[in-house]
Amino acid sequence: MAVSALNTSHEAVAARYQNVDGAYAEQRDMRLMGFVLFLISDVVLFSAFIFAYLYLRNSVPNWPPINKDGVQLPRFDVAFAAINSCVLFGSGATMHFAMENWKHLNKAAFNMWMLATIVLGMTFLGGQAYEYHSVQVTWSGSTMGATFFTLTGMHGFHVLVGVIYLIVLYIQANRGVYTGSKYFGLTAGTLYWHFVDVIWVALFYLFYLM
Amino acid sequence: MAVAAAHAGAVGHHDHIHPEPEGFVAKYIFSLDAKVIGVQYMIAGLLFFIISGLLAEVVRIQLLTPGGAILKNDAYNGVYSLHASGMVWMVVIPMMTGGFGNYVMPLMIGARDVAFPWLNLTAFWMFPVAGVILFSSFLIGAPDAGWTEYPPISVQGPPGTTMWCIAIFLIGISSTLTGINFMVTIFKMRAPGMTFTRMPLFVWAQLATAMLNMIATTALAGALLALFLERVFDVPFYDPARGGSPLLWQHMFWFYSHPAVYIMILPAFGIISEVFPTFARKPIFGYKMIAFSSIAIALLGFMVWAHHMFTSGMAPWLQLPFMILTMVIAVPTGIKIFSWLATLWGGKIDFQPAMLFALGFLVVFTFGGITGIFLSAVPVDLHEHGTYFVVAHIHYVLFGGSIFGAFAGVYYWWPKMTGRMLDRKLGVWHFWTTFLSFNVTFLPMHWLGLLGMPRRVAQYRPEFQFWNDVCSIASFVLAASTLILFYNLATSLIRGKRAPANPWHARTLEWTVSSPPPYYNFKTIPAVLKNPYNFGEPLPYIGLTLAEEEEDRLPKPGPAVPAHS
Amino acid sequence: MAATLERGVALILALIVGGTTSFQLYKDWSSTGLDNQVTKLLLGLMAFGCVLVVLAAVGVLGGG
Repeated sequence: MAVSALNTSHEAVAARYQNVDGAYAEQRDMRLMGFVLFLISDVVLFSAFIFAYLYLRNSVPNWPPINKDGVQLPRFDVAFAAINSCVLFGSGATMHFAMENWKHLNKAAFNMWMLATIVLGMTFLGGQAYEYHSVQVTWSGSTMGATFFTLTGMHGFHVLVGVIYLIVLYIQANRGVYTGSKYFGLTAGTLYWHFVDVIWVALFYLFYLM
Repeated sequence: MAVAAAHAGAVGHHDHIHPEPEGFVAKYIFSLDAKVIGVQYMIAGLLFFIISGLLAEVVRIQLLTPGGAILKNDAYNGVYSLHASGMVWMVVIPMMTGGFGNYVMPLMIGARDVAFPWLNLTAFWMFPVAGVILFSSFLIGAPDAGWTEYPPISVQGPPGTTMWCIAIFLIGISSTLTGINFMVTIFKMRAPGMTFTRMPLFVWAQLATAMLNMIATTALAGALLALFLERVFDVPFYDPARGGSPLLWQHMFWFYSHPAVYIMILPAFGIISEVFPTFARKPIFGYKMIAFSSIAIALLGFMVWAHHMFTSGMAPWLQLPFMILTMVIAVPTGIKIFSWLATLWGGKIDFQPAMLFALGFLVVFTFGGITGIFLSAVPVDLHEHGTYFVVAHIHYVLFGGSIFGAFAGVYYWWPKMTGRMLDRKLGVWHFWTTFLSFNVTFLPMHWLGLLGMPRRVAQYRPEFQFWNDVCSIASFVLAASTLILFYNLATSLIRGKRAPANPWHARTLEWTVSSPPPYYNFKTIPAVLKNPYNFGEPLPYIGLTLAEEEEDRLPKPGPAVPAHS
Repeated sequence: MAATLERGVALILALIVGGTTSFQLYKDWSSTGLDNQVTKLLLGLMAFGCVLVVLAAVGVLGGG
C-alpha cells in the first residue's frame, strides 16, 4: 500500500488516487457527482438565456436590430473578443497543467500554473470590462444589448466567482489542506473553471460569429 | 453470500454513526438530520398552506355575488395570485420533496441521512425566508397577474411583483439544491443489495422528481431574472417596442412550470404506491411499470410545455406536436392507474384513513387527468383556455392529486414520525367531509367554464351566480374539514396512543426502526435481497437490529394473497 | 491595420492554446473516472473554441 512519495509516474498518480480509505473514496464520489449535477443545472441556466437570445434574434427581421433611439446597431467587433477568448482558453490549459503537476507532486510548478490561471482569468475580466466600455449597444436600448450584457454579465460573474475560488484553492493548497491523494477541492475547481471556459465558447460564437 | 459479506464488512462513510448533536438549537433549529429538516419543511409548509388556503376562501367570498362585494379588483388580483403562487411553491413542492422526501427517503434506502446534510440545511432555510418575502408583497402591492405573471402586465405590475421574483428565485435555488442532494443520495447511498429494482416506489418517485427539480428549476430562474432585470433596470426582454416578446416569457416560464406540475404529483404517486400494497395486503402490481413510468413521465414532462400556449399566438404549426405529446403522457400515467387498480383487485382492504385518501386520490385524480386530456385537444382548449374549466382541472389534479396524496402520507407516516397514533374515526370523518366538499366545490367549475366564465375575474355575469354560490359554500365546508385534521394532529401529539414501530405491518425499511426512529436511523445498515412488496414472505433484509417489541409483530410467513407476477 | 494585427495575434494564440489543449486531450485520452471524463469533454470543447477563434481570425466566420 505504501507508495513512495517520490514516485511521480502516471501509475503512482493513479495508485495514490485509488488507494485512499473507503470512507473518503465514497465521499469523494458523492461530492463529484453532486458537483457535476450542479454544473449541469448551471448549463440549463445559461441555456435558458441562450434560448431567449436566439428566440429574440429570430423574432425581428434584421439583426443587428435598430435600437430604441432609431440607430442601426453594428455587429460586434470580432478581433478583440477573439484575443480575449484565447486568454480564457489559455487559462483552461494552464489550469490543466496545474492539476497535472499537483497529481505528480510538483508543488512549485503547481503554484506557478495556478497563479498563471488566476492572472489570465483576471485578464479576461479586464478584457470584458474594456469590451463593455467600447461596444455601442446599451443594456436597455435593444434586445441585442439586453441579451449581450445579461449573458456575458452572468458569465463574467461566474468567472469572478471562479477566480475567487481559485485564489482560495491556491491558499488552501499551500497550507497543506490537500495531499497527493485527497484533493477534491482542486478537482472541483478545475471542472468549474473548464465549465466557465466552455460556456464562453458558446457565447463567443453566438454573439460574435453568428 | 456476497451480500451478507458486503454487509458484514460494510465500510463507508454512511455506516458510521456520528455522536448525537447537543443543545436545543443543534437538535431542532439548525439540525443536520434529514428527519428534523423534513419535519421543519412540513411545519413551514403547513403554515403556508393555511395562509394560501385562507386566500382561497377570500376568493370564494368575493365570488359569492356577481358584483363582487368585498374587494377592489386590484386587491382581488393579488389574492388569487398569491393563493396560487403560495400553494405551488411554498406548500406542495416543499412538502412533497423537502418534507416527505427528506424524512422518508433516506430511511427507505437504508441510509442514515442524505448525501449533503449541510446543503440540506441551507436549502431548507431558504424556504421560510422565501415564503415570508412572497406573502409580504401584500404590504407594498401584491403581484396581480396570477401565478403565471405574464408580461406586459407583470412588467408594469405593482412593486410586489419584484418581491415575487425574488421569492420564487430563492425557493428555486432551494429546490435545485434539494434535487441534486436527493439524486446523489439515491444513486450513491442505497443499502448493500438494494439495486434500483429493489427500491421502494416512493424512492423511484423522488428520483424522478429530483431529476425534474434539478433541470427545470434553473430555466425558471432565467425567466425570473429576466423579468426582474426588465422591471428594475428596464432591460428589454419582453417589451415589444424594443424587440422583446411576451411570448418569450411564456416559453421560458412554462418550460419550467409544466415539469413543476410533475414535481408536484410524482411524490404523491409514490406515496400512493406505498399505501395501496400495505392496506390491500398485496404486492404492488406492475412494480417495474410503475417505476419506469415515473421516469417516462419526468422525461415527457419536458416536451409538452406549449400546451399552455395554444391561444397565445405562437406559431400554429407548434400546436399539433405539443397536443400529441401531451396525450402521450397519459399513457404512463394510465399505466400507473391501472396498476394501482390491479393492486387492489382481490386484496384484503383495510380502510384506514391513509387508504381512504389513496382511494379518493384514485377517483379524483383520474377525473382530473381526463379533463387534462380534454384540454390537450387544441380545438377544446381554444374554447376552454382561461376559463373555469381549467381551474377545475387544476384543482382536481393538484388538490385531488397532490393534497390527497399528502394527506394519505400524513396518515401513513405520522405514527413513524411522532411515535403517536392518529385517531382513526377523526381520520374517516376528515376524509369524507373533504372528499364530498371537495367534489361539490370543484365539479361545478367544469360547467361554469364550459358556459364561458373566465378565470381570474373579480366580477362575473349574473347567470353564473348559482353555481358560484354552490362552489363557495362547499369551499367553506372544505376549509372547515381541514380543522378536523389539525385537531387530530394536535390531540395525537398531546395524548395519542403510543405507536409501535410497524403499526401497518408494512415492509419498507422505515418500518423496521422504532417510532420515531433514532437520530442515526439504523443501528446497523441492513442488506437487501428483494423488493419490499411480497406480502406473506419474510422481510427481505439481512442484519436488521429490530426494535425488540416488534420481533413478534412482524408479518409472519404464511397464507396471504397470492402475488401477481 | 490595428484590426489585422489583432486578428493575427488572435490567430497565433488560438493555434498555441488549441494545440496545447488538443495535445493534453490526446495524452489523457484513456483515463477513467467521472472527473477525468468530464475534463476530457470540456478540454475537447475548449479546443473546439480555439478552432472557432482561428476561423474568426481568418474571416471565415464572423461576418467579415
